[in-house]
Amino acid sequence: MDGSDGGLKRTDRATCFVMVILSLLVDEGISSAQSVRPDSQDTSSSSIASSSATTIGGYGNAFYQRNFGTQTALMDLERVVLFVGHRFTPGIAFFSELEVEDAKVTGGEDGGEVAFEQAYVRFTLDPTHSISAGLFLPRIGILNENHLPTEFNGNERNQVETFIIPSTWRELGIGFYGSSGGLPVSYSIALVNGLNSATFVHGSGIREGRFEGRNASANNLALAGSAELYLKNAVVGISGYYGGSVGLSSRQADSLQLQSGPFGTPVIIGESHVQYESGGLSLKVLGTAVSIPRASDINRAYANNTPALEYGAYAEIGCDILQSLCPVPGKQLIAFLRFETLDMNATIPSNGILDGTLKQRHIVCGFNYLPITDVVIKADVRFAHTGDQNPALVLNPSPVVVPYKNNITFFNVGLGLSF
Amino acid sequence: MKRREFLKSTCALGLLATSGMTSGMISSCASLPIVEAPVHDGVLRVPVELLSGQSLRVIRGSGLEFDIALERRDDGTYRAFLMECTHAHNPLMFNGTGFICPLHGSRFDENGMVTHGPASLPLTELKTRADGTIVAVSVE
Repeated sequence: MDGSDGGLKRTDRATCFVMVILSLLVDEGISSAQSVRPDSQDTSSSSIASSSATTIGGYGNAFYQRNFGTQTALMDLERVVLFVGHRFTPGIAFFSELEVEDAKVTGGEDGGEVAFEQAYVRFTLDPTHSISAGLFLPRIGILNENHLPTEFNGNERNQVETFIIPSTWRELGIGFYGSSGGLPVSYSIALVNGLNSATFVHGSGIREGRFEGRNASANNLALAGSAELYLKNAVVGISGYYGGSVGLSSRQADSLQLQSGPFGTPVIIGESHVQYESGGLSLKVLGTAVSIPRASDINRAYANNTPALEYGAYAEIGCDILQSLCPVPGKQLIAFLRFETLDMNATIPSNGILDGTLKQRHIVCGFNYLPITDVVIKADVRFAHTGDQNPALVLNPSPVVVPYKNNITFFNVGLGLSF
Repeated sequence: MKRREFLKSTCALGLLATSGMTSGMISSCASLPIVEAPVHDGVLRVPVELLSGQSLRVIRGSGLEFDIALERRDDGTYRAFLMECTHAHNPLMFNGTGFICPLHGSRFDENGMVTHGPASLPLTELKTRADGTIVAVSVE
């Protein structure tokens, strides 16, 4: 009892120390700030948190999808997200996103999710530096932080930043964000809770190992960092992640022969991207890889066929036809083509089983029409190609099962908005 | 693949991909030093001599949450924009031709107009007044 009390006191003292430091930094930086208020427009309809205390916003999308492989079709209100923000002082603000997926959540039934996508407090130190604490999205890749449906082409988020980088990926922790005073460079570094390798699921990379703010194990931690250079018409960025994936006590971990500790049984991610935009033409290129050096230990403990290496890359070109042919203020008609390649088991440990279906290529082409900046109507086709199915992974096959198809075409039509 | 090999190959791949595209564009990357100026009674007071040599300066007012872009126009008048993204109220950066938000990627031109969302509203323009030696920007 004494020991645990002592631990609590130490934790309390550490928390107090951090809070005092934060308050001093914020007070020092902008305690005497004038409250600068917009004088030429009403920002209340498009803001997360305005100078005037509490505001709301949001985004959402719905789509129809025809799967020509299974001859089935689906309609779904994929997500509706509400932003709520509150500015306590010019230097301290709260941001949140509450998401409902698939329109409805019913106990005992599959599908649907209600979750906080973000809920954090931002302490502004000065105009170019801030600290965020709470549930937030580490800056990894392009889509994780910038995932509004009006901002990406196609109804579906790209596969690479869904399965290799598991967007939308939020964790609990503290992050430092800054930009250079002289050069157009921004950077960030965040300390967040780690992943849970026990819940990795074969076929979805590290995606199911996220805690997303719910009872996250804090024995294991992760560092995520990013840097972006903003050029005349381009953005060049890199990001990385290094985190432990075993949150067990050392005794439990030892019994499973897993490496524990803050960065034990690590997951390592490297990523780089380039975005270019000029005169209605846009280009986007991203490459990423995930390494799990002790994947064999995870497989031995949890039998979830974790890979040692997975990678993905995509390149996308888009052209605003309206801007090129007959510019109409506020309207865009973007034709785009995206090529994606990914392999969720590029390297497997000796106790893993190769799954050819996880080596995939996707070609997506279509149109985004934005009658106004905040509303988009989308239509696209995705041609998906995968490697062969490994019969060793098909347990108890149904006698009437349809043979596996390596090539499947999807047709999507949908609607998105943000405000 | 060992961790060191993975890191080396990832870094090499990233550097190779980005260096080619950046080498041609890096010369256009504008360096714009931040100039500090005092704020009194809701007015940012910027000495005119601080603006010599460049038509646009980023001004950091004491105690202000956001920097201010102050432009001297050809006709001798001044124009000021609050460097706050009108979408999520994040600080903006100047990239040589306009302003960009590192949070969600919104872009604004030198006139404060949106060139790329998700922001849909132009930058907040602040009132300015020049008396020969001082440019006063209202920040109240």
